[in-house]
Amino acid sequence: MDGLEFLKQNWKKQEENLPRLSYEDIYQMIWKRSSSIVKWIFVISIVELLLSTLLSIGLADGNFWADMEEIHLKNFTIGLYVVSYLITFFFIYRFYRNYCKISVTDDAATLMKNIIKTRNTVKIYIAYVLISEGVTAIIVAYFTLKNHTALQDAENVAKYNFEALDWLKFIAAGLLLLGVFLLALWLFYKLIYGILLNRLKRNYKELKKLEF
Amino acid sequence: MEEKLEHQFVTNLEKHQNIVHKICRMYTSDRESHNDLFQEITIQLWKAYPQFRGDSKFSTWMYRVALNTAITLYRKSKRDIRTQDYDEVSFKIKTDEYNDETEQQLKLMYKAVKELNDIDKALVFLYLEDQSYREISETLGITEVNARVKMNRIKKSLKNIINP
Repeated sequence: MDGLEFLKQNWKKQEENLPRLSYEDIYQMIWKRSSSIVKWIFVISIVELLLSTLLSIGLADGNFWADMEEIHLKNFTIGLYVVSYLITFFFIYRFYRNYCKISVTDDAATLMKNIIKTRNTVKIYIAYVLISEGVTAIIVAYFTLKNHTALQDAENVAKYNFEALDWLKFIAAGLLLLGVFLLALWLFYKLIYGILLNRLKRNYKELKKLEF
Repeated sequence: MEEKLEHQFVTNLEKHQNIVHKICRMYTSDRESHNDLFQEITIQLWKAYPQFRGDSKFSTWMYRVALNTAITLYRKSKRDIRTQDYDEVSFKIKTDEYNDETEQQLKLMYKAVKELNDIDKALVFLYLEDQSYREISETLGITEVNARVKMNRIKKSLKNIINP
């Protein structure tokens, strides 16, 4: 007889030695707080969505709009904000829809797929925020420099004239800063989601392997 | 109404708690983690209980929720370190029924199963619990054919553990 059949024949016999909880013990447990990864993913995702939305609102104070007007970008920025709010609402809606689909009574593969999908919605949103903020920063920087001679506080206009090398230095410094920022963010994400999702992803991969 | 539901749920779980304990033993390596996982499974079962319509057996429904919690929702704590005393009780049967050699062989087999990855362990667990391949495939979300193929592979790999 092979090993597993042998174990199966004797499987039920371990039951006498299992722990036994009383009605009262179990009753107490149902009121305890869950520490499931879905709860953590939900909390972290909400914080991320709120922070990134607040970031874009918080940056746009009165001075910001005055500056935008000076560099002739006010209408462009208003348009950009409308589009970005629409996109944000779309992502929040998608996140909510996906989150509602997570059910522990689904089969294991569906449950894992839905958790990963919910997580990915937030990940794409964060990527969108970073890319759009980056693009906006480049556009604003370009227009600021282009219009700098027209600004009142530019006393010595000649000092602000950029030559090819200056442009190169400016772009290199910008890219370096962006790189460091993205690296720090990536490490932070790796840490948080590594802790939460590594096991789930590994198991999902194992399940998918069975399908081929 | 709520009280009636609570009573019904706790009574059902008390009756079928062995299933949850067996899953906890499979997926944890110390007593504290066993208790943690038992608690998380209980919470998840209770949260999902309103969705239990009674068209399947409570125990069948439990397998799905409990295994989902063990392999997907539960985050292993750092203290989940194998301890000798826990290993000793991991597969304990009445010693007067068996001789030492039989018990050692069973422990060896159980240890080999515990070392499988989370998914293979779930497959083997359901098989040991005498679930049909249809039920196994529905619980894990794979096809029946794939469940059979994988199970045969695992059986082969575990074949020579007690008779090398």
